[in-house]
Amino acid sequence: MTGSRTLRTKRRRGALRTAAFMSPWLIGFSVFFVYPLLSTLYFSFTRYDGFRQPVPSGLDNWSYVFTDYPLFWPAMRNTLWLVLVMVTCRVVFGLGVGLLITKIKTGAGIFRTLFYLPYLAPPVAATLAFVFLLNPGTGPVNTLLDAVGLPAPGWFTDADWSKPALTALALWGVGDLMVIFMAALLDVPKEQYEAAELDGAGPWARFRHITLPNIAPIVMFAVVTGVIQAMQYYAQPLVAGKVAAGVIGGSGQQFEPGYPDKSTLTLPQLVHNLGFQRFDYGAACVVALVLFALSMAFTALLMRRRGGLIGADG
Amino acid sequence: MPRTGRLTTATALLAAMSALATACTGQGAGTASDDPKADVTLTFWHGWSAPSETKAIEDNIARFEKAHPNIKVEVTGNMTDDKINQALRAGGDKAPDVVSSFTTDSVGKFCNSRAFADLNPFLEKSGVDKAKVFPRTLLEYTEFNGNQCTLPLLNDAYGLVYNKTAFDAAGITEAPRTWSRFVEVARKLTTADASGDSYERVGLMPTFHGYETTPMRLAAQWSPTYFAADGSSNLARDPAFAKMLTAQKDLVAALGGYEKLERFRNTFGDEWSAEHPFHTGKVAMQIDGEWRAPMAKEAGVGFEIATAPLPVPDDQAGDYGKGYLSGTVMGIASGSRKQNAAWELVKYMTTDTEAVVAFANAIHNVPSTLAALESPALRVTPESKTFLDIARHPKSSTTPAKADGGTYQLTFTDFAYAVEKGDVADIPAGLARTDRQIDTDIAKAK
Amino acid sequence: MSSAHGPRRPSSAALHWIGVHALGVAAALFFVLPFVFLLLTSLMGDRQALTRDLWPDTWEWDNYTKVWHTPGFLTWWRNTLLYAGLGTLLTVVSSVPVAYALAKFRFRGRRLSLLLVIAMMMLPPQVVVIPMYLFWARQLDLSGTLWPLIVPMAFGDAFSIFLLRQFLLTIPDEYLDAARVDGCGEVRTLLRVVLPMARPGIAAVALFQFFCAWNDYFGPQIYASDNPAAWTLSYGLESFKGAHHTNWNLTMAATVLVMAPVIVLFFFAQKAFVEGVTLTGVKG
Repeated sequence: MTGSRTLRTKRRRGALRTAAFMSPWLIGFSVFFVYPLLSTLYFSFTRYDGFRQPVPSGLDNWSYVFTDYPLFWPAMRNTLWLVLVMVTCRVVFGLGVGLLITKIKTGAGIFRTLFYLPYLAPPVAATLAFVFLLNPGTGPVNTLLDAVGLPAPGWFTDADWSKPALTALALWGVGDLMVIFMAALLDVPKEQYEAAELDGAGPWARFRHITLPNIAPIVMFAVVTGVIQAMQYYAQPLVAGKVAAGVIGGSGQQFEPGYPDKSTLTLPQLVHNLGFQRFDYGAACVVALVLFALSMAFTALLMRRRGGLIGADG
Repeated sequence: MPRTGRLTTATALLAAMSALATACTGQGAGTASDDPKADVTLTFWHGWSAPSETKAIEDNIARFEKAHPNIKVEVTGNMTDDKINQALRAGGDKAPDVVSSFTTDSVGKFCNSRAFADLNPFLEKSGVDKAKVFPRTLLEYTEFNGNQCTLPLLNDAYGLVYNKTAFDAAGITEAPRTWSRFVEVARKLTTADASGDSYERVGLMPTFHGYETTPMRLAAQWSPTYFAADGSSNLARDPAFAKMLTAQKDLVAALGGYEKLERFRNTFGDEWSAEHPFHTGKVAMQIDGEWRAPMAKEAGVGFEIATAPLPVPDDQAGDYGKGYLSGTVMGIASGSRKQNAAWELVKYMTTDTEAVVAFANAIHNVPSTLAALESPALRVTPESKTFLDIARHPKSSTTPAKADGGTYQLTFTDFAYAVEKGDVADIPAGLARTDRQIDTDIAKAK
Repeated sequence: MSSAHGPRRPSSAALHWIGVHALGVAAALFFVLPFVFLLLTSLMGDRQALTRDLWPDTWEWDNYTKVWHTPGFLTWWRNTLLYAGLGTLLTVVSSVPVAYALAKFRFRGRRLSLLLVIAMMMLPPQVVVIPMYLFWARQLDLSGTLWPLIVPMAFGDAFSIFLLRQFLLTIPDEYLDAARVDGCGEVRTLLRVVLPMARPGIAAVALFQFFCAWNDYFGPQIYASDNPAAWTLSYGLESFKGAHHTNWNLTMAATVLVMAPVIVLFFFAQKAFVEGVTLTGVKG
C-alpha cells in the first residue's frame, strides 16, 4: 500500500538523515575510542617494546604492574589522597567562595573577575609559578611565613608537603566551581529564605536546611567530576615534580618520576613512564586499562544521580 | 548471532587491529646496501644545547661535509633520550639516521631492542680495529652483549672542581685525597649566613640532587661491581655500595643535615647557567665533569679554580686518581636506509683524530680515542689534565649497559635518596630489596 | 542574599558588610598575590631572582625581550594558535550536527549514543594513547607534528557535543517545527534557525575548546616532543627552564607571556565563558 510505503521511505530517510548528522562522531567514536581501546586490551597481554613484534605473554604485564612495578601502588595511594583531600578542599572552598561572592554588594564584578582569573592560567604556567612561589629557599611564600614566625615547609621538595602544595594550586584555580556554585546559589528560591527567616532560623540553620538541600545535586556533580579530574591529574604533578627536582628536560640525568619520593605520581604519569620512557607498551596498557576502569566506574556513578547528566528527557 | 560466533568475530577484529598497529615494525638488519658515494642527506640528532656546544658540532659537520661533498647533514640539537627513543620507534622519514646520546644509560636499551645497528660489520669493512682505537672502558659502555651498537663520542670523567681561593683562605693547601680528609675539608669550608639558619657557603652540596653528585659517581670511588657474573644485581653482595651510602649519609649529617642542605640547594641557579652555585661562591667544591672549570672561567668568576680527582675511601688510598667515566655515544638508527653514508659520519666523528681533538677542545670534554688523548693538538690546561688522567686511570669505572637501559640506576638512585633522607634503618636489607627490583625489571625488559 | 531581607539594625548590617568585604579582600589577595609575585620576579636580574627579595632592585624590562627572542618562542606561539584555532573550528563544525541530532531527532539508540558520548568525554587521553600513538606515528608517519591532535577534532569532540546538546535542548521545538512547515530541510533548519539561536552555546564551546588546546600539555608531549618545530607554548614552557638554562626571572617572564593571552581573551569573552561553565553543571 502506498501509505505504508511512504511511511517506510520516510522512516528510512529519517534514519539516513540521523546517520548523516551523527557521522562525524560515529567515525570518531570507532577510530578514536573503540579501536584503540580494543588494541590496548590486546597489547596488555603481549610483550611489546616498539621494535620487535608483540609476543603474547599472558598475564605477565598484569602481574608485573600489580606486584612488581614500584610506582604503581604509590600512584594509587596518591590518587586516593587527592580524591579524599584535594577534591574535598576544592568543593568546600569553591562553595565558600561562591557564597562569599553572592554576599558581596560592593564591587561584586571586580571580585568575581579576580577570583575567576587564576582558573584561566594554563596549567603548566600556573604550576611553574607555584613551584617558584613555594620554593623553600627563595620563594615569597616562605619568606612571608618566616617573617611572621611560622614554620616554612619544603613544599614541592618535601614528600609530606608536595600534595598539599598541589592542593593550594588547585584551590587557586577554583574559579570553575565558584561560578557553578554561584549560579546554583542564585537559583535557590528567595521565598524559602524569607519564610525561614520569619520562622527565626539563624544563618547556619538557613544554610543547612535550605541552601544545602537546594544545591545538593550541584555539590554531587562537583564531587564526582572532581574525582574524575583527580584520576586524570597529569600536567600539574608532573611539571611540579620535574621543576622542583631541578631536572627539566635537561641533559645527562634521567628524570625521576614523582619527585619527591614518588609523592606526586599519578596513574596517567605511569602510562607515560612505562610507555614513553621505558617503552614497555604492554605494561603501559595495563595501567591504561586500570585508569579506564576507574574513570568509567565514577562516570557511571555520575550518571546514576537523580536526573542525571543527561536531563529528564534523555 | 550465536555467542561463539560473536566471540570469533571479536577475536578476528582484535587480531586485525593489532596487525594494523604493528604493520610497519619489520625494519631492521640487512639494509646497509646504500651507496656511500651517492648524493644523500643525513639527519643527525644530538643532545647539546648551549650555543658554544652547538657551534662546535656545526664546525665538525662542516669539516665532514667538506671531506664528503656528496653527503649533506641536517643537524638537530637538544634531543633527550626519551625523544630519541620515541622517534626511533616511530620510524619514518623524519626519524634520524645518526644519533648521539648523552647518557650511556640508554645503550643497553638501544642495543637490546636493535634500535641501533650493530657497528661491528662496519668497523670490519673499514678495517678499523676498535680495540686499538678506543680505550677499553669506553668500549665497555658502548656495547651490549657483544653488540657494538654505539661508539664513544668524547668522554666525560668526573672529579672535583674547587675554589682555590677559598681553600687558601681556609689554610687548606691540597685537595683532599681520602674520604675522611674530604669530610674535614668540606666542614672547614662551610660557613653559616648572617641569620645562622642557613649557609653563606657549603664546602660541598653532598645530597644526590646536587647536580652531578649522583650515587653512581660517588660509588665509582669504591670500585663497585654492579652485576654478578650471572647477570644478577649485586648491590647487597658488594659492600662497596653500603659503604658509599653510609659515608655520604654521614657527610650530609656533618654539613648540617638533609633538610637544611636541601633548603639551601633550592637557592641555586640552573646547572648550565652562569648562576651555577659554584660560580657564585655558594659551594666551594663541586663534584663535576671536566667542563665545569672552563665553564666557570667563561662565566668570569672572581676566584681561582683548581681540579683534582675525587677522594677515595681511606682503605683504598693507593687507588687515588680514579673516577667515574661516562660519555656521549653515537650510533646509526637501524631503520635508516642510508646506513653506509651514516657510517661515514660516525666514523669521522668518533675515530678521526683531528675531528675528535677539535671537538674535545671546543666543548672541553675528554677525547675518546687513544690517538686523540696523546695528540699534540689537544689543548691541555692544568685543570683539564686532571680529567685526562682520570680517564686513563686503570681503576676508573663506569656503569654497565643493561637491557632496561638506565632503569636500574634510577632504582638504585631512588634507594639512595631514601638513605640520605634518613628513611632507611637497615641499609643491607634495603639493598637486597633493590637488587630484587632490579632483577625483576631487567627480566621484564629482555 | 539573606542580609538584604528581613529587619535588621543598621549597625549589624554595617558589621555584616564589613565582615563580608574583609573576607572578600582576603580571598582576593590569595587569588591575586601569586600574579603580583610572578610579575615582580619576572622583572628581576639573574642573581636577584635567586634571593629572597620580593621587590626588584633594578627593573629588567629586557627580560621580556630576551624571552620573546628565545629561539623557538615564536614558533611555539604559531603552533599553539594553529592547534587551538584550527582545532576549535573543526570541533565546532563537526560537533554541531551531532549535538543537534542528539537533542532534536528521535531515533533508536539515541540514549545509548548519548551515554557513549559521556563515556568518551570522561575518558582520560592516556587510556588509548599507546595504540593511537602507534597509529599516528607508524601508519601515517605524523609524529613530530600537531596533526594527530588536530585531525581528531574533525570527528566531533565529546565534551563539545554534550555541552551543545544541553544548550540545544533549551531551544523550543516550536521554532524548528515552524521552519519545517515553511519547507526547510533539516540542514537549512539547522543553519537558518538553530545556529543563530545557539550562538551563545557555540561561543562557550569554542572558547572551551580553544582553552583546552591552548593548555594541553599531554598531547604535544606525546606527539610533538621529538620535533622542536612543532612544540606548543605549554610544552615549550615546561622545557624552557631546562633547555635554555635559565633562572627563575626569565622562566617567570615566559610564564607571564603564556598566561597573558588567555587572560586578555577572557576580558573580551567573559560572558560566554561564565555561561559555559554554568552550562556544564547546572542545566542538567
